[in-house]
Amino acid sequence: MGRLASELRALLGEGKVVDDPLVVALYSRAPDGLEAEELPEAVVFPESAEDVSRLLAFAYRRGVPVYPQGSTSSLGGLALPSGGVVLSFERMDRIREVSVVDGVAVVEPGVRIEELNVELARYGYMFPIDPASAAAATVGGAINSGAGGMRGAKYGTMRDWVLGLQIVLPDERGTVMRIGCRTVKCRQGYDLVRLIVGSEGTLAVVTEAVLRIAPLPENVVVALAFYERLEDLVSAAVAIKEEGVQPLIMEFMDADTVDIVVKYRGAPVEARGHMLLVGVDVNREATGRVLRWLAGLLRRHGASRVYEARSMAEAEERGLLDVRRALFPAQVEYARRALGPGAQALLEDIAVPPSRLAEAVEGVLRVRDEYGLPMALGGHIGDGNLHPAIAYNPRDRRSVERAHAAFREIMRLAVRLGGTVSAEHGIGLLKREGLREELEALGASKALEIMRAIKRVFDPKNILNPGKVV
Amino acid sequence: MPAAGLRERVLEEAGRCAYCGFCEAACPTLRHGPHRGYGPRGRVEIARRLLEGLSKPTGEAVASLFTCLLCGACRVKCPLGVDVPLVVRGARSLYLAGVLGGRVGARPRLRG
Repeated sequence: MGRLASELRALLGEGKVVDDPLVVALYSRAPDGLEAEELPEAVVFPESAEDVSRLLAFAYRRGVPVYPQGSTSSLGGLALPSGGVVLSFERMDRIREVSVVDGVAVVEPGVRIEELNVELARYGYMFPIDPASAAAATVGGAINSGAGGMRGAKYGTMRDWVLGLQIVLPDERGTVMRIGCRTVKCRQGYDLVRLIVGSEGTLAVVTEAVLRIAPLPENVVVALAFYERLEDLVSAAVAIKEEGVQPLIMEFMDADTVDIVVKYRGAPVEARGHMLLVGVDVNREATGRVLRWLAGLLRRHGASRVYEARSMAEAEERGLLDVRRALFPAQVEYARRALGPGAQALLEDIAVPPSRLAEAVEGVLRVRDEYGLPMALGGHIGDGNLHPAIAYNPRDRRSVERAHAAFREIMRLAVRLGGTVSAEHGIGLLKREGLREELEALGASKALEIMRAIKRVFDPKNILNPGKVV
Repeated sequence: MPAAGLRERVLEEAGRCAYCGFCEAACPTLRHGPHRGYGPRGRVEIARRLLEGLSKPTGEAVASLFTCLLCGACRVKCPLGVDVPLVVRGARSLYLAGVLGGRVGARPRLRG
């Protein structure tokens, strides 16, 4: 048993610390094939804010790096440790309160988003941030990565849905404090809540969150369309917005990626061409009218096939969401067929103004062809957020280098088009260089200095998730 | 199946896991156990590491493999359809046959 683990056991209790090397390794791997360069010495499982406070005060005194983790489902290496101690929130997974009157849910950080939604559905409510990883992703992880999802174009990202936080600081006492409000309107000086959201566990540790919740839509109509020409698909997406409709979801996949899905996962509909999946929330009485309008618009803009559903239940029954859902497994299967077992995919997370989407897609496909790398392309077209997935073999140094070079190239493309290198996944390890280039392009190099200064104020000894963001 | 063939088959199946964690919410043992090793994602990764010879069996690892109920709920949730019960059963057999680097004492633990 390591000396650090013994000290942590004395500090927190026998059952809250694990240092078995095989278990520690379970907290050192991410779904995009990234792994910790150095295994942590122990994993700690707090059961309260007091436990976190004791740990951070200890880590501050001893200069031990601490890596907060939810379900380690983030992409880009946000939660990967490098030595030190992993702080896992598996045991802080209670939903403390749901108040429909106040429009809030109060939760611990280890609650999974899907579990929160199951509970909220009993009240006719939902938490609208829906990362593709919602089955695994925790509220704490989503707060720290600043997550978004398919409903981002309508509902934004985590920063729009977190009202208040309980946080613990990495200081002498492990200070526990509450910031923010239990109301939507809140002018509490500088907005520290939004500073913590998306800070990737580098500033403070979140131990409780007051989340805003939204009523479930009365009904959702769904249309799945396929286009021969990319420009037609983009023009349809633009026209929907120009007519004043803000869809609940508007998802895109390029034609080659649709082929990959059909080849490796199969599809319940005839899927060929670039895919556009649109869901619009409606009053029940407006169902027929809105669906006719939507399907008509998609056809007028050149769709070769349009499948319609009068409700989400019908869309599920007929498998209209299956093609989009199969994106992640198809990306992984495709990578492995192309590069052998063990291959994974690095996921980009660029966003460009929706008016520049066609240029962005063309640019991404150009990078794919130039580098000759297997790449699948999908994204949230409603908010200009694209997720090209670059296949690579994590155990082959050359493959890793080429994938990273293509990754950088696509980030630069986003910056050239007036976009951002990360819309909803976060900076982590993979996009630090991209962040610097993006800020330079904005003439805002000083912003990095400000961010580093903020980091020093919160975490003077650089012990919280060091090496990430800035 | 002879041990060599079984090892290969189990390793191939374990190697398909992308580590997304979608399986975990379906697992009946995970929330009663002390860590991620009491859920499907953890069990598959532990099996992979043992089978690849990256580590010798530890008490925690063996407890993790032998607390699985083999119910297969995780298989339904897995986007890649990884056959977790096959991996766990295979890893148990190989461990008991002593080909994973000896036997160790294991005591399953409850959370807390």
